[in-house]
Amino acid sequence: MILLQVTNPGSNVSLVLYFGTIGMLALTIGLIVFIIFHQRKVIRYQLRLQRLEHDQQKMLLNASIRLQEEERQRIAADLHDDAGPLLATARLYLNENLVNLDKTTQLQSIYNAKQIIDDTIQLIRNISHSLMPPTLKNFGLESAVNDLFQRSSGSGSMNASSRFHDYRERLQAENELIIFRVIQELVNNILKHSNASFIHLTQNTSGDRFFIRLHHDGRGITQADFEKLNKSNVGLGLKNIQSRLKVLHGKIFFEKDMSQTYYKVTIELDKEDEQDKLREGE
Amino acid sequence: MLTKISQGLGILPIVVFLIFLKRNNKKGEWVIFLYCILSFITDQIYGFLKAKNYTFSVFSSFTFVEYALFSLFIYLSLKEKAFKVILIICSAIFYGITIFTFAGKRIDSFDSLSASFEASLMIVYCIFFLYERMKDPAIFYIYYFKDFWIIIALLLYFSSTLFLFIYAATFTSQEHRNYWGINNIFDILKTVLFTISFIMKDNNKKQEFSLGTSYNEM
Repeated sequence: MILLQVTNPGSNVSLVLYFGTIGMLALTIGLIVFIIFHQRKVIRYQLRLQRLEHDQQKMLLNASIRLQEEERQRIAADLHDDAGPLLATARLYLNENLVNLDKTTQLQSIYNAKQIIDDTIQLIRNISHSLMPPTLKNFGLESAVNDLFQRSSGSGSMNASSRFHDYRERLQAENELIIFRVIQELVNNILKHSNASFIHLTQNTSGDRFFIRLHHDGRGITQADFEKLNKSNVGLGLKNIQSRLKVLHGKIFFEKDMSQTYYKVTIELDKEDEQDKLREGE
Repeated sequence: MLTKISQGLGILPIVVFLIFLKRNNKKGEWVIFLYCILSFITDQIYGFLKAKNYTFSVFSSFTFVEYALFSLFIYLSLKEKAFKVILIICSAIFYGITIFTFAGKRIDSFDSLSASFEASLMIVYCIFFLYERMKDPAIFYIYYFKDFWIIIALLLYFSSTLFLFIYAATFTSQEHRNYWGINNIFDILKTVLFTISFIMKDNNKKQEFSLGTSYNEM
């Protein structure tokens, strides 16, 4: 019936009514379909993002577990290969005392056992220091980094220096340790792979941001390389850096200097996060 | 025929609402339930009032209350303050026009101005609602929500009857019989969509993605 009305040439009202209704209906259905498809697209995109993030987390977690295992193996090897034989030798010298009644020989073996026990104490101290540097614990990040750089410079093959411009207030102990480990890992990487003749570290702050910058003149990596290595199965140390900084909500940037001579690594942290943690602690 | 189906079907959302009362415990759903009752009663007594020549009053009063209930439902569903403010301002204008028309001359059998203005406003409010839901990143499946189906019912009904309401006042009895089928078809669709909404379980909790693995499995 409606169609009959529309086909009547004299009926302008019915024509407008017919096409108007059809048009409005088409627009409405189009709008609903658009919303549903748009939502599906957004869902797919978010799922993809989440899966990527999930994979990245998994990779970082695996890297940190592997690193922890390596560290345990190293400590086990140090204790088994160095401390174990030393203590066994000391025991042997002390045993000798029970058998040998000669005073001079007894004194000699006690002296030898004392020397070995001293060596063992030193060895255990070294292991303990490698787990938690006492300078970092007692005097803070600045002193620990200066200490690390002095030791790196001590070999003579490299000039390492550091300068803290604005570090009047110490960060929280666990955060200092994380930053120190990141710096240690970066310095290790530079020493191992870059063939650099100098490393220079500077610390400063800008507003609520805390910056640490490392310059070196060796062969370095850029941000693209860093991200590529982070997604691959190699670059365990870099993944470790990434997972440590994630704890601090920090960022790291690898770039080549404007002059194209130096490589620059920038670590950026939010001081507000640190203050929030302090408040939570209180 | 369509008129009778439309009038008879009006009972369906009321019955379904009462059956699934536990699922429909929100204010918005009660507002729509109230509308369904009002609509059903009006449909049943319309024949009697038409005989007494109260057609204009019936249509005007129904538009008045229908707008109040639908706009209240949308007001309760909207989250953005700006949209709510627009809704209040537009409602004030709408009621101004409706009261003015109601108090004025009643030469037509249908209050075209109020009905078409109501339809236009409802379409705009529905678009506000859909835009708001599209923007919300926490909502992944919009059609899991009861209020989405109610809004779709309103959007389809008012967009398809807008032109009909604009011209309704000028219709002859024959034209009214010819074209009123559009209203009946979309009234049936609206009733069905309301019923679907009342049957649905409440999925108003924010949905979360799950990739099927947890960190324990890593």
